[in-house]
Formats: sequence, C-alpha cells, structure tokens
Amino acid sequence: MRHFKPAHLIGMYPLGMMCLFFLGPLAFMIVVSFYERDPLGFYNVAFVWDNYAKFFSSFYYTISMRSIWSSALGAVLVVLLAFPAMFIITDMVRRWQLFWIILLLSLMCLSEVILGFAWLILLSESSGIPKFLGWVGLWDDPRSLSPSFAAMLIGFITLGFSLVALMFYPQMAQRDRSIEEAARTLGTSPARVFIKVVLPNYRTAIIGAVVTMFVYFLGVFVMPTMLGRPQDWNMTVIITDKAVGDANMPLGAALSVIMLLFTLVIIGALMFGTRKERQS
Amino acid sequence: MSYSIKHIALAAGIAVGTSGAAFAQEITVSAWGGFFEETLKDVIYPGFTEETGISVRSIAQPADQAWLTQLTNAARANTAPADLSLVADEVLIRGQAIGLWATLDGDNIPNTETLVDGFAKADDEGNLYAVGALSWYTTFVTNTDSSPDAPTTWADLWTRDWDGKLGLTSNANSGLMEATALTFFGGYEIMETREGLEQVIAKIAELKPQVQLWYRDEGQFQQSLESGELAGGLYYHDVTMLSAMDGLPVVSTFPTEGGILGDAYWIVPRDSEMVAEAELFINYMSRPDVQAEMARNLGIAPVAQRDTMDLSDEEFDSVGTSGNVIRTQTEIHLRESDWLPDAYLEMISQ
Repeated sequence: MRHFKPAHLIGMYPLGMMCLFFLGPLAFMIVVSFYERDPLGFYNVAFVWDNYAKFFSSFYYTISMRSIWSSALGAVLVVLLAFPAMFIITDMVRRWQLFWIILLLSLMCLSEVILGFAWLILLSESSGIPKFLGWVGLWDDPRSLSPSFAAMLIGFITLGFSLVALMFYPQMAQRDRSIEEAARTLGTSPARVFIKVVLPNYRTAIIGAVVTMFVYFLGVFVMPTMLGRPQDWNMTVIITDKAVGDANMPLGAALSVIMLLFTLVIIGALMFGTRKERQS
Repeated sequence: MSYSIKHIALAAGIAVGTSGAAFAQEITVSAWGGFFEETLKDVIYPGFTEETGISVRSIAQPADQAWLTQLTNAARANTAPADLSLVADEVLIRGQAIGLWATLDGDNIPNTETLVDGFAKADDEGNLYAVGALSWYTTFVTNTDSSPDAPTTWADLWTRDWDGKLGLTSNANSGLMEATALTFFGGYEIMETREGLEQVIAKIAELKPQVQLWYRDEGQFQQSLESGELAGGLYYHDVTMLSAMDGLPVVSTFPTEGGILGDAYWIVPRDSEMVAEAELFINYMSRPDVQAEMARNLGIAPVAQRDTMDLSDEEFDSVGTSGNVIRTQTEIHLRESDWLPDAYLEMISQ
C-alpha cells in the first residue's frame, strides 16, 4: 500500500474546502429537489419528480429562456463596452492609467443595491435624466425610464463593467505593441488593425469574459427586481420567490438544479467550440 | 392599576425561578422592520420594561413568508430567533399547522378579555397559541398632485385613466383579488373554484396597461408615490396617513366596498425559553391604553374593544373605518398555494 506523502495532504486541502463549501451544499440541494412539498409546512422527505415536472408544465420554462437571453445580451454588451475602453486606457500615460484603474476598483466596492438605487433615481420622472431632458426641451412629456428591460440592462452593465475591464487589464497592459505597429507601418488603418490584429489575439480572453459575465448575470437578483418589469424578472428572482417567499424549498431547489444544468451545458458548448476551432 | 398585583406576583415568581439571571432578564421581540419596528422600540416597549424590569431586545423581521421560512429552519435546529414575533394570519395558520408555536397559559394573559372577539386563538383542545396584536388596512392610495380627486370605489382602478402610473403589489395575497371579486363578481364566492379565480385574475390583467410598477419592495412604492412618480395604487393606510401628516401629497381612501383588513398576532416560537416573560409581554401589549398608544403612534387599527380605549372619535376614525371591510380569504390562498401564486405571477409577467 502506498503511503500518503505531505504533498498529498496539502492536495487534500482544496478538495476539503470544495466539499465543505460547494459540493456539500450542492448535494443537499439536489436531495431536497426530490422532496415533496407540504403546502402548510415546509417539505416531507420523499422521492418525487413533481418539482422537475413543474418546470416543463408551466411558465418557468419561458422565464428560464428569458433569463438566459437577458444574461447573454448583458454579457455581450458589457464586453463590447469594456474591451475598447480598456484598450484605450492601457495606451494612456501611466498616471492616467492609474487614475482609471483606481476608479474602476472603487466602482467594484459599491453594492448592487446602491448602484440600483442610483439608477432608479437617475431614470425616474421626478428627478433625473427624463426630468432634465424635459427641462432642456428635448422631451415634451418626460416619463420614467424604469422599470424597463433597458433599465435592467443598464444596471447589468454597471455591475459588470469594472469587473470585465479589470479582467482584461493585465494582458493588455503587457501586450506586444510591435505587432500593431508593424501592421500600421504596412499601411493598415487603425480600425482594421483593431479588428484584424488586436481582436483575434484576445479571442480566448473575450470568450472567457463573456462566459463569466453570463454566469454572473444569471444569478443577479437586485437589478431585475429594482429596475426590471415583471416580464424581465429572471430565474433567480423566481427561485427566491418559491424557496423563501412561498417556503417551497423542493421546487426552489429543483429550479436551481435545472438552471445549473443549463449553465453547464452552455459553458461546455462554448468551451468545446473554441477548442475545436483552435485545433482545426 | 388592577393588574399590577398579579404582574408583580408573576414577575417575582419568574425572578425566583431563574434566580441567577434575575437581573439580566431580556426578551427578544421581532416585528416588521423599518419605521414600524423602530417606533415600537422607542415608544411602546420602554413602558413594558419600566413596569416589569424585563428589557426588550427589538429585532426587525423580514416579510411574512421569508420570516416563516426562517422560523421553520430555526425550529428544525431547536432554536428560536426571537422569543416573540408579530405574524400575519397566513403565517399564523401555517406555523400552527406544523407546530411552530408554543402553547400559552391564558391565565397569565387576562387582558385578552378586553380584546375584540376572535383575537385569542386557541386550537381544538382549547390551548391558547396566539393573541391579536393589531390590525391594519390596505387601501386605495393616491398622490394628490397627480390625481386630485380621491377615488370612491375600487372600480376606479379600472375606469379612470391613470396615465400608466399605477403601482400594485406583485403578491397574489395582497387583497386585490378579494377587492376585485367583491367589486365585479358580487362577493368572494367566485374565489371558491379555480375557474372563478382565473376570472378574477383575468379582470386584474385588464389593469396591466395602467400599471407602471408591480412592487415587491414596499419602500420603492412608497417613495415613488410620494414623489409623484406613481399616481396611485394599493398600499398600507397607516403608513400613508403618517406620510400625509408629514406634509407629503398623499391620501389614503377607503373605497365604498371597504378597505382590506389584515390582522397580526403575537406568537411565541416553540423553542423559546422565555414563555412566561413572553406572556407578561403579550398581556401588556393587549392592554387598552397600550393599544390606544399604538394606534396614535403607528396609525394601526387597535384590536382592543372600542369602549375600553380612550381614543377620541377622530383618532379612531383616522386609523380605521366604521364602514365595509374586505377580508383576505386566507384559507383559499393556502388551499391553492401550489397554483394561485404561479397563475398570478404568470399574468403579471406576460
């Protein structure tokens, strides 16, 4: 029999942490998702498929599709905005770079609730952007811009922007500028350099950022409830409603498991796609 | 005061019984957070501490269902997050069904005599498990700048042009279903069947073009109404009255069909170790003078009998109504709890 060496023991540490904080609760959630709901109480220990059946027999399915759509759109928009922004920032002199990085870091300190509330005020009819547009005469009948799908997306972007920008920072700051310069000296326009030279170099980083943001936005709760209409509420909101609001833990757990599977499938497909592309 | 001797005897008994901790007696009382809990803590609870020497640690509890979930989880771990809690009738019934509440000794709470009938809740064996704490009304509230004419009937929600600025709760159990059933379908009978409930939900769906905000968070509604962002909607009478007294342009109206009445009860979680102190507390909170103080400071409707309190007619009318009352059909909501919230949510989110 082989004996455990200290290196093995050290290796056990991350595994232990994973089990304690991630796999354990996850396993419990999967178990609960098969329990039977007790309408008056909480749940009864049982093994039933009802909770999963409910997903396909009701509008939960529609809501899942909606949340996947809004998260994907939010993720793409954030990356579209943050990538060029960071590209420009890393070309600035050191002092300005530092200024923007500190600003982005401090944005990350703000909680979702504060950001949501700030947008709520900015988009409201009685104070904020609509009122201002009405005052300068650009909008005859200013109306509140929230709750709406667009307001929710703005909230998503505010949440994710600094995160994505900072994800790109290390790689961009240290990039080899000679390739871009070579392309420029050969007569390529700056826009073409960006599309043909810069973007392909960052493909993996961009896909990574989109996936990270997609998963992050799937789990966002405050922005949809604060800035979105009921039509925009995502699965997280509904799961909270069921698990905490209606005290229906089994259904909440089953919906969470389904969302987890959805996420895994989408991430897996993306990873598989990019790997195949690189191999060919 | 006539209750004092009994109080002192009881307090002394507790003090002797728990000799070591006699000087550090404290009970934890939870109530809905915000202005409500703060006022109870600042204005109402000190009187209890003064009379009994038992200090009160006041904590804020979340919305009903979330709190029930926490209480249930705590009971599974044999602990109690508070020694006393304020719960609405749906939580009361559900908690009782799964044995979450401690049994109380009615002899230690003689003041239940002064309460309106039906506020001392006993199970089939006659064991007391909850005592009425207060009632509150949900009414038709409007912003006086946006809609100068106060509504007169619930039908005004449907018939008037609200400029797309109504605010309604996203919760199926807000009383709007009952108000709709009463206004358009002649009573609550229609709510007995699923087909009937679907008809009521379809009627509420007609309001959707007028609704700007389906609120989950009460604070958001209140702020939007006060600022004129919303023209009207469904909200608590007490909070609206307090805002109006602060000079804000809001008004609460009892429609002719009635305001929606909800009741809150004091319960002691099963695992609390301070049942005797909790009984003293409930007895204090049931006293007519304390009930009157709560009405004056919180704007809620008292549950003590009208003639036992020293509230003037004006004060009494400002916290309630002598007219019709709409009652939430809690039994129906509980019976259909697997279906109704989803059907309602589906309606508003489509």
